[in-house]
Amino acid sequence: MNPDGMSRRQLLRHTAWFGAAVGFAVAGGEVISHIAGAEAAEHAHAKPTLRFAQVSDSHIGFTGAPNPDVAGTFGHAIEQINNLGYTPDFVIHTGDLTHLSSPEQFDHVKQMMTGLKTPHVFTVPGEHDSVDDAGQKYRQAFGAGSVGDGWYSFDISGVHVIALVNTLNLRKLGHLGADQLAFVEKDVARLSSDTPIIVFSHIPLFAMYPQWGWGTDDATQALGYLRRFSSVTCLNGHVHQLFSKTEGNVTFYSGTTTAYPLPHPGDGPAPKPVTLPAGKLHDALGIREVSYTTGETTLALKEQRLQ
Amino acid sequence: MDIARFRKHSVAVLAAGVLLAGCSASRPAATSGTSMPTASMSVTAPSAPVSGDQVSIDGFAFVPATLKIKAGTTVVWTNRDEEPHTVAASDGSFHSPGMGTGATFSHTFPAAGTFDYVCSIHPMMHGSVVVTA
Amino acid sequence: MTLPSVLIRIGFATSLAASAICHAYLYVHGYQHIPSIGTAFLVQASVSFAIAALILVGGPGWLGWVGAATASGSLVAFALSRTVGVFGFSERGWDPSPYAAVSVGAEAVTVLLWAAVAARSFGLPRWPRAQGWPQKARRQTTSA
Repeated sequence: MNPDGMSRRQLLRHTAWFGAAVGFAVAGGEVISHIAGAEAAEHAHAKPTLRFAQVSDSHIGFTGAPNPDVAGTFGHAIEQINNLGYTPDFVIHTGDLTHLSSPEQFDHVKQMMTGLKTPHVFTVPGEHDSVDDAGQKYRQAFGAGSVGDGWYSFDISGVHVIALVNTLNLRKLGHLGADQLAFVEKDVARLSSDTPIIVFSHIPLFAMYPQWGWGTDDATQALGYLRRFSSVTCLNGHVHQLFSKTEGNVTFYSGTTTAYPLPHPGDGPAPKPVTLPAGKLHDALGIREVSYTTGETTLALKEQRLQ
Repeated sequence: MDIARFRKHSVAVLAAGVLLAGCSASRPAATSGTSMPTASMSVTAPSAPVSGDQVSIDGFAFVPATLKIKAGTTVVWTNRDEEPHTVAASDGSFHSPGMGTGATFSHTFPAAGTFDYVCSIHPMMHGSVVVTA
Repeated sequence: MTLPSVLIRIGFATSLAASAICHAYLYVHGYQHIPSIGTAFLVQASVSFAIAALILVGGPGWLGWVGAATASGSLVAFALSRTVGVFGFSERGWDPSPYAAVSVGAEAVTVLLWAAVAARSFGLPRWPRAQGWPQKARRQTTSA
């Protein structure tokens, strides 16, 4: 027998300790989760304070192999929102409602969204919604109640919501501009630091992939005005894929599209529409449910693929 | 023996550490088997060598990125991509409508100077026209 | 069991448990919701608790290696979260204080203890003992 090896008894002994380690770890994990669950349930045994749905990048007017029927998939998404099992307090469309900013496309998407069973529908424009007119047609269709180039804010159920436009005057990345930054600064000045803040924009407010324009050049200033708040969540579209990032007190969540997927950052030379194998398209599309419960600093998100 | 076993253990721990660090550094997004986009359905062939006053929009890029012309020349941009693009001057002197596949946009440059432009939909696309008198 | 080996075991167990407690607390109080990081915290806490308990009751030497690996992995992840980000998560400075600092300190102690034990098994003068680490090394010197 090899004196350097171990005897069978020793092997059994080591296996037993290893098994004990695994067993204890699993048991410990269960205990900790249970405590965490109880903690969360304590905060959330009542109905969530606020529930809403996010939908994005419908690109009405697009035709091509990646999705020959964007109106169909968008209609599907609307049906899914209407069948969540509860009425969302509002629905937000985070931009690129149309593909080419044509009057017919704006009419079409506006008409489709009247089918959403919810008290309020909010939107922010994408760069496809302001292709040739700096957003004029977008504001005519969806700009009621907004200021400047189409930004606005509102309070609902104790949450402060800010809707930003970062798709005009683009140099290489998304851009907010001095007027809009001043709006944000003034808008949050009167709020107490424990007010939860939700920010909607089309282009990500964080540097997701600057080489493809997936970032906003002056977002740091806007986020600076929000640094004192305990809960800040930014929801965006534009990138046609789910992604999240937490930076200090701010969590960013990119939502997916109802039209066609785009490549992951760096996966190819450019953010071109991707054609998936037959039957796989619906896996890449979807909607998102978001809920907020008083006392929690993080929002609860649930992604739903297109059925 | 001490050294051998110590080394063996060290390698195992180091390997685990490297694995952990590697996992942390990689992107979290799940791969969904995305394939490269299919070839464009437009009839024209991929960009032929461009003549003096033509700019092709191809593969999310302006080709050529810098075009040198004489004052008074008209430049024609042609979109050969599936995606729509625009041509928007940084100084605001020209701004095309949305251009679908195969669409063209032309602009005459009467004065000398350098005119940078971007695609307003995909602003990481840059180009410039250098006009000499 | 000799005093040094007992002290070493207690040292490992305490430092691993301290790190586990910090991660478990943060998990229960909000970090459970953060994508990927939440799960990672849960795994770190449960594994660290398990290893700590088993080292305390007299498990074999390789448990110390596992504990050190967990601790160094946690340190690496902490460093990443303050710099380039890990799984899309990043924080600044020593937030959340004091848990971050306590955890980093505890993990450093774990790694240092492991290094000391490993160095001893490698060739520094050994302490006579009947049991405890690093008893594996002992056998070699008795073979012909």
